[in-house]
Amino acid sequence: MRHSRISRSPRRAVVAAALAAVMLPLSACGGDEGGSSDASGKVEGEITFQTWNLKANFKSYFEGLIDDFEQKYPDAKVKWVDQPGEGYADKISADAAGGTLPDVVNVSPDLVAPLAKAGIALDLDKSAGKYEKEYLPGAWKSHQVPGLEGTYAFPWYLNTGPLFYNKRLFKDAGLDANKPPKTYDELFDDAEELAKKSKGKVATLANVPTIEDFGRYGVPLMNKEGTGFTFNDTKGVELLTKYKELYDAKALDGQALTATPESTGKKFLTEAVAMNPGSALDLEKFKKDAPRLYKNIGITPQISSTGKDNMYVMGVMVNTRTKRTPAAVAFAHFVTDAQRQMSFAKKVAIFPSTKGSLDDPYFTKQDGSDETRVRIAAAKSLKTAVNYTPVLFSEQMKIELRNAVARALQGKQSPKEALDNAVKACDRLLKQS
Amino acid sequence: MKSTAAAPAPATTRPARASKAAAPRRIRRQLVTSPWLFAAPGLAVVGVFILYPFVSTIINSFTDKRQLVEGKYVGLANFRELLHDDMFWIGLRNSTLYVLVVVPALVVLPLLLALLVQKQIPGITFFRSAFYTPVVASIVVVGLIWVWMLDERGLVNAVLEAVGAGKVGFLSDQWLLLFSAMAVTVWKGLGYYMIIYLAALANVPRELHEAAAVDGAGPVRRFLSVTVPAVRSTMVLVAALSSVAAFKVFSEVYLMAGPTGGPAGEDTTLVMLVQRTGTGLTGRVGYASAISVVIFVVTVALMLLVLRADRKEDK
Amino acid sequence: MPAPTTTTKDTPERTADPAEKAPRARGRRRRVTDENGRRMPLWELALRYTLLLVMLALMIGPFLWQLSTSLKGPHENIFSSPPSFLPSDPTLHNYERVADTIPVWDYALNSLKVAAANVFTNCVGAALAGYALARLRYRGRKAATLVFILAMLVPVEGIIIAQFTTMRDLELNNTLIGVLLPGCISALNVLLMRNAFLNLPYEVEEAAFVDGANVWQRFFRIALPAVKGTLAVVAIFAFMGAWDDFLWPLIVLSDPDKFTLTIGLNYLHGTFANDERLVAAGTVIAVLPLIVLFACLQRYFFRGVGEGAVKG
Repeated sequence: MRHSRISRSPRRAVVAAALAAVMLPLSACGGDEGGSSDASGKVEGEITFQTWNLKANFKSYFEGLIDDFEQKYPDAKVKWVDQPGEGYADKISADAAGGTLPDVVNVSPDLVAPLAKAGIALDLDKSAGKYEKEYLPGAWKSHQVPGLEGTYAFPWYLNTGPLFYNKRLFKDAGLDANKPPKTYDELFDDAEELAKKSKGKVATLANVPTIEDFGRYGVPLMNKEGTGFTFNDTKGVELLTKYKELYDAKALDGQALTATPESTGKKFLTEAVAMNPGSALDLEKFKKDAPRLYKNIGITPQISSTGKDNMYVMGVMVNTRTKRTPAAVAFAHFVTDAQRQMSFAKKVAIFPSTKGSLDDPYFTKQDGSDETRVRIAAAKSLKTAVNYTPVLFSEQMKIELRNAVARALQGKQSPKEALDNAVKACDRLLKQS
Repeated sequence: MKSTAAAPAPATTRPARASKAAAPRRIRRQLVTSPWLFAAPGLAVVGVFILYPFVSTIINSFTDKRQLVEGKYVGLANFRELLHDDMFWIGLRNSTLYVLVVVPALVVLPLLLALLVQKQIPGITFFRSAFYTPVVASIVVVGLIWVWMLDERGLVNAVLEAVGAGKVGFLSDQWLLLFSAMAVTVWKGLGYYMIIYLAALANVPRELHEAAAVDGAGPVRRFLSVTVPAVRSTMVLVAALSSVAAFKVFSEVYLMAGPTGGPAGEDTTLVMLVQRTGTGLTGRVGYASAISVVIFVVTVALMLLVLRADRKEDK
Repeated sequence: MPAPTTTTKDTPERTADPAEKAPRARGRRRRVTDENGRRMPLWELALRYTLLLVMLALMIGPFLWQLSTSLKGPHENIFSSPPSFLPSDPTLHNYERVADTIPVWDYALNSLKVAAANVFTNCVGAALAGYALARLRYRGRKAATLVFILAMLVPVEGIIIAQFTTMRDLELNNTLIGVLLPGCISALNVLLMRNAFLNLPYEVEEAAFVDGANVWQRFFRIALPAVKGTLAVVAIFAFMGAWDDFLWPLIVLSDPDKFTLTIGLNYLHGTFANDERLVAAGTVIAVLPLIVLFACLQRYFFRGVGEGAVKG
């Protein structure tokens, strides 16, 4: 019976190994206890700082910034990691669930909300309330979550931009290329005219309306308590009905239902659509990739019924599980303070969220170039701009809205019906979150 | 079929059974030594990193667990919700359609391609390797390339316009999108299954073809009466492998139709739905797990169906 | 790649022109025979080459188009329609920019490490397990086979977080070993090897057994060399799988020093750099090693596949 002994002992070993591997995860849980929320101690120890796709272009900026911080606080050390643009939410949620989230993390408001609810984002009103006055009030508020007390990230850079339009296409349609649309009514009229004159070949818009479009149109998005969505009111239905007309008239691009920001950008570059939102960064791109378009580029402010432009906000949050709360808070503030934000803004077309920074001559003094003109206009609009997207509007909700809009444009459902369904689905998701 | 027992196609189970039966008892008894030692690494890896996480997925499917929130037991609530979720039915429809279209194409076309590259004519090795290239390239790269090719202003439309056919919205119509994705799946899979067939064809006894030719059978008759029966077991294998892969399709559709699954989400497949509902910071792990369980059950059923169909025909 | 394919890519109409290819075929007519020693009629040969060239355009044309885009200079309009197939002023500038933007060589090295290890573990692990499932007799063999079949059917997208928590509990997150482990012996490869071994005749091994070879010797000296073709398939798939994977390495790795190439290339789509040419250059960098690897292995690969079949 030689073979049976030989074959059995490895079997037992395998079973034991497999069992060990299976049991290990169960026993190893709960190892990391949270750190304290008290940020008043000495700034020391090693912390990890995670950015979102910034290393490729701003390596030296961040390395310099970290050097400065370590000089100011010789006992502290910062380790910088950068994550690519795609899959960032997956990366953060895996780390948050696994307890491996870095101490200081670059986030956006919609990422902060679930982290704050799960108790992973530090409440800065409690730990760092003294810094609130350094930031624009609107920016500071952008990381507050309805239903929760507190502010969960330092505001970092802001972004907004004008609408670009193609003067040649406007001219070809018999429109005045120097009089771009200023209101929604003008926009819709011009779009229909462009479509009619080009026999449906030139669309004016390439994107279906998103939640911030509804907001900018003046649709109330959520109730005051933050417990339910309201974008199916008459104003919302009105906007969607209008888009349906544009879609039928081919004034809204036929591929809008499947468009991505990249694909619409490309369409504008190839002069297949007449208008596209963008930022100062895009001018560079036009110049390089589509010289003919660049010659005919028109720039006009965002269209808004509320008088307030849309802006995007980035933030820097502190992980509640950090063992180095003072250092983490100090560093998060250091990254987002006026001096650092100002020098970052000079490197790339973004805008600081710190008080007074937007009054810097860099954002107020014309020098005749298009870039500067765009920058100054954007900086001016930022003083009143709003981040229309509710922080509680999750990725899943965005998809619900997008699909509802598509069903309405395709005529499968009436605009009212489609929005009612979307609100219902989003409310359900909200309750579960 | 029986005639191939002496020269079985590779990677099929049935002919092997025949040779196993022929194996002398003595050697079979002696091959007993240290089998677990051989299988242990594979079992350990698969057990710890695939099956164990999957067991926890099954457990999660009975809870309302979310990405950052521990779940509690909710019984069959997730599965009940599935029944009323339009998106689930759309996903099931698309994944099923994918199987129905892609599997026949991948059973037949690579066989024809294998016949084309079977003859040793000059340069044939180059052609074989070239046809294998799409298999080697990553699906992400393939997706990027085809999105660019099928774009409204892409090469395919440029060619169509040149011949006067007019532009086609491959990437904007829900059905064209799905079929384009299927075409890409087939395009990428052709070379892989071609190789499998090529190996099987090498085993088709020449005499059969010659006899059929003497009988006056044309190429089509010979294909149907000699080639197809000879490689039938390989066709079953291809059908089994490709139907499991087709039902779990994700990347092609995700890359071409976008994360939202085409216009109004009509191109969503089941695995896309798992990804969409379950990932991100607000992902509903419990619900997504329930979809995963359904996918698993259907793929097991698909496998059994293919094998059953095979056995029936065999009788 | 012969010159004609570059000019005719993506236009099947033109490559399909038989008049262009006929002279070449005619010149070799005398030597071309089918496997029965029968001479192939000229029309059949012409038809075959025509079809082959159409398929060639279809199968590798898209890659050449990507290559062409990546070689176009910054001042060439890549969105022009009709598109220009050849770069007017070919340049490697885009590749330099990719290398400047991300440490492409470091990432490629990491990818190479993982891919090479993955090839090794899969070939060894799958061959061993496949041999055990196909050749060795023991209680529980059926159950073991079932384990691998079930594992093949598990939808991987659904279990990635659970895999990550397991990996973290083993304290292997943020290591290249963590990237490697879940796929290091894939169930599909085990089943492929099992079927390859099943198709070997017992007689050969029996002879070796009579000569006194033990199971390891039989495995290494007789069984393994007989399934070289399938091993080549497993090797290529293992390399591809590791080289192409994106989501799993992204989840497991945090430290940029350890990033693999697919993660690194993803930076090219990033918010601050979005240039078709760079993306094209990136995809070429991602694909090229695989094509080169395959081109090197190709002779062996096809012969191995054929041989294995003939022997069976």
